[in-house]
Order: sequence, then structure tokens, then C-alpha cells
Amino acid sequence: MADQPLLQLDNVTAGYGDAVVLHGISLTLPENGSLAVLGRNGVGKTTLLLTIMGYTQLRTGRVLWRGQDMSRMPPHRRATQGIGWVAQEREVFPSLTVEENLTVASRPGPWDMAAVFKLFPRLSERRRNMGNQLSGGEQQMLATARALMTNPALLLLDEPCEGLAPVIVDELIAAIKLLLADRRVAIVLVEQHTEVALELTADAIVLERGAVAHAAPSAQLSQDAATLERLVGLRVAATP
Amino acid sequence: MLPPIFGVLFDGIAYGMLLFVLSVGLSVTLGLMNFVNLAHCAFAMIGGYVTVTLVNQFGWPFLATLPAAFAAAAVTSVVLERLLYRRLYRASDLDQVLLTIGLAFISVSVAAYIFGTVQQPISTPEALRGSVQFLGLNLGKYRLFLIGVALVVTLALVIGLEYTRFGAQVRASVDNQRMARGLGIDVDWTFASTFALGSGLAGLGGALAIEIVGLDPNFSFTYLVYVLIVVSVGGLGSIAGSFAAAMLIGISDIAGKYYVPELGAFLIYLVMVVVLMWKPAGLFGKR
Repeated sequence: MADQPLLQLDNVTAGYGDAVVLHGISLTLPENGSLAVLGRNGVGKTTLLLTIMGYTQLRTGRVLWRGQDMSRMPPHRRATQGIGWVAQEREVFPSLTVEENLTVASRPGPWDMAAVFKLFPRLSERRRNMGNQLSGGEQQMLATARALMTNPALLLLDEPCEGLAPVIVDELIAAIKLLLADRRVAIVLVEQHTEVALELTADAIVLERGAVAHAAPSAQLSQDAATLERLVGLRVAATP
Repeated sequence: MLPPIFGVLFDGIAYGMLLFVLSVGLSVTLGLMNFVNLAHCAFAMIGGYVTVTLVNQFGWPFLATLPAAFAAAAVTSVVLERLLYRRLYRASDLDQVLLTIGLAFISVSVAAYIFGTVQQPISTPEALRGSVQFLGLNLGKYRLFLIGVALVVTLALVIGLEYTRFGAQVRASVDNQRMARGLGIDVDWTFASTFALGSGLAGLGGALAIEIVGLDPNFSFTYLVYVLIVVSVGGLGSIAGSFAAAMLIGISDIAGKYYVPELGAFLIYLVMVVVLMWKPAGLFGKR
């Protein structure tokens, strides 16, 4: 199945209850690929990740995983198929220790406790702490490490840098770079820091009102100040 | 030579241990899964009748029927969970109460129809009859056995919930169902097994209770009161709380009946009122 893309969305329309948020989204992600999902607030970036996980109502279209239709698959089966989800609110389990948060859903593979502690040394100092005794940055690291412990083929990162101190953001970005350089996991990255997201990823899409307004290689999009200005509203070209 | 109060204490502890085995499952379903299961003692009664039937009709040794009592209650509860309970996980407390109290009424009628309304006789093995002398006290062998079983159950539960991956998955599912599913935990299966475990323990409690308190079709309701008191005094979802509360209620019930017979069975309600005025969430409760 090497010829099949890892993840493919085919004309997906989805939302919550009667509210349709995503309209006719199609995208393709190869094994070990990386995709930035950009756009203003409320255009459906998080909903796109939730739809990949199976938390939304799929109206039309299909979600394909290595060529297999997983449109009707419940979230926990998608996770065991190899999708690791890092939620926007981190959602660390408060009544579990850091170590238990990591092992509670772990599956065998190269990512074990030693490997995630190497990636996030801070977590190893906090391993006996409860999940609710961590700072925001530590919670983000734990949520990321927890998803890695399931040894996913695809990591969904929902605004990992949101609300974190710059020094922690740098640490996280370094970790994501290591992950991508490792070439064992594909990443879909939703991120408000456009320049960071484009630097990290190979491809990018920009959403507007729940539809793909623009799709381009990240390197190309980062030079396209006019499009970014129009769709994301950030003067990216002005930043060094 | 110890004064007789220690004998009363011993009987109270044994009775408390029995209440603990009966109630800990309800504490888990109520506290961890937020499901009000008033049919909990109906599962206990299933265990009791399984043991009575296997001993009296099929000549099984008493001890061999205990796992069967556990299994019968656990399996019945899973069938009901799949068919009925799971539809009401998100429903209001009132809906849950109405469904489960209805099941409790049904259990009373079914038991009366099959077994009649009389108390069921049970013969325990020779080794558990009589008593042993200890510093001048007569300690009933069956009560010693009861205490032993309850301690093993407590230990197994604490280890199972606090130190195993399954226990962590239960706690994770309770903390945040959506995230637990997102990491690949089969939350439905986790809750169903937890529910089965709690009901199975009730079944075991029902079987163990026959020798101490007897068994008739009203068991579903008579002991529902005790079990609810234990759960509310102990605090929802807390194993340690259930244990402490079961001891407190067991000892005060026996001591009350022994020393102040005119108050009789009322003392446990006083204890409950006092504890809940002091700690509304129960001894070990968090909310």
C-alpha cells in the first residue's frame, strides 16, 4: 500500500449537529508528510482536525486512511489505526500522574517513555506529579508526548504554541523539528504563528469559511505575501 | 481477658466488611461513572440466590459457589448495561432512578415468583461453623472468613484501580471521555467492565450475606438503604471512603442494637446525619 497516501480527505462536508462548518474539503497527505493548516480564527481549522479524528458529523465525502475508508470509524479505532491527536486545550488527565498520562494509552513502537523524556526532559523531572499540577507549557509537552506514546503514523497538532511563554514555544518548535527530521511520523499542524508553521512544514492550506481557499508548498506560500495578507491577515513578509 | 465490648466491635467489623463488599461497586458506578444504580442490590440478590440454588439443589460446596455468584451478577449486569443502562448515561438523575428502581421492583417480584417469599436456608461448610476462642472472646469463624475476604477484595481493588493500566484507563475515561477515546481507549468497554466488576462484587456480597442477614426477595430494597448510606457517608467514588463508612455503619449498627436496643436500627441514620452535616460530601468525598 506504499502507493496510497497516508491520509486523504475527499470532498468532506462536516459539522456539529445542524451546523455545517467544513464545506467540500479535499486534501492529501503522504506518509511522513507535513501540512500546515492556516487561516483566521473560526474558519474551521480545529473542526478539520476533529473531523479527521471522527468527532464531527460527516455530511458528505470520505476520509481515507492508507486507501481504506474510515469515514464511519469511531474515534478510538482511528487512534489505534495510527492517528495521534494533541487537542487545543491539551486535555491532560488531571487525576493521573505524568507517567500514567503517558502509559495509559501507549502502544508498542519506537516512542517509549525514554524516547519522549529525551524529547521533553522537563517531563521526566515531573513524572510523579499529577496532570493538574503542571504549567501550561508542561501540559502541552505532556499532551504531545502522550500522543507520541501511541506511536502514531500521523500527529494532529492543534495550536501547540497558543498561550505559551516564548522560551517554551522555542522548546516546542525545536521538538517538532526533531520529530519531522526523524521522518517516522506525518504532521498536520494548525498554528496561529504563520511564519513558524510555514517554516516547519512542506505543504500548506489556507482555510476560509470552512473551505480550502489556497493550497501551496509552504516555502512558496511564505514568499507570497499578497495571499497571506488577504487570507490570514498577517504581514508575514515584514517579519525577519 | 478482653471485655465484651471487643466482641461487639468484632461483630460490627465483620458486618461492616459485608456492607463494604456490597456497596463498593455502587460507589464506583455512582462516583466514577455518575450513574445512579438503585438496582445495585438486585445484583447482590442474584448472587445470593445463585449460591442458595447451587448449594441446596446441586450440592455444590459453599465456597465454590462464591465465584459463580460473582460471575452471575457480573454477567447479568453487563447484559442490562448493554441493553438499558447505556442509553441513560447522559440522561438526568431522575430518569436513571426511575429505570433502576423499576428494575429493583422487578427483581423482587421475580425472586418471589421463583423462590417464594420465605427466608432461604444455607449451610456453610464445617470449617466456617462455630467460633474460636481469643483472649476470652468468641470469634465466629464465618465472620473471620468474611473479614478476610473483604480485606482481599479491598486490596485487589486498590491495586487494580491505582496501580494498573486498566485502572488508569478507567480514571482517564472518567476525567475526559472525549480525550480518552481520542487516544484509542475503548471507553464503552472500560465502563462496561467497571460496571460488571462492581456488580460482581455485589453478587459476592449477596452470597456472603446469607449466613449473616438471611436472604428473601426484599433483599433488593432492605440493603439498598444500607448501601446508599455507606456510599453517601464514605463519599462518591472513593474506595477508602466506602471502607471507612462501611466500618462506621457496621459497628454503630451492631453496637446500637446491643447497647441501646430501644434506638434499635435507628442509630445508623443518626450517624449518617451527623457525618453529612459535618462533611456534606462524605468522609472522603471530593464533591
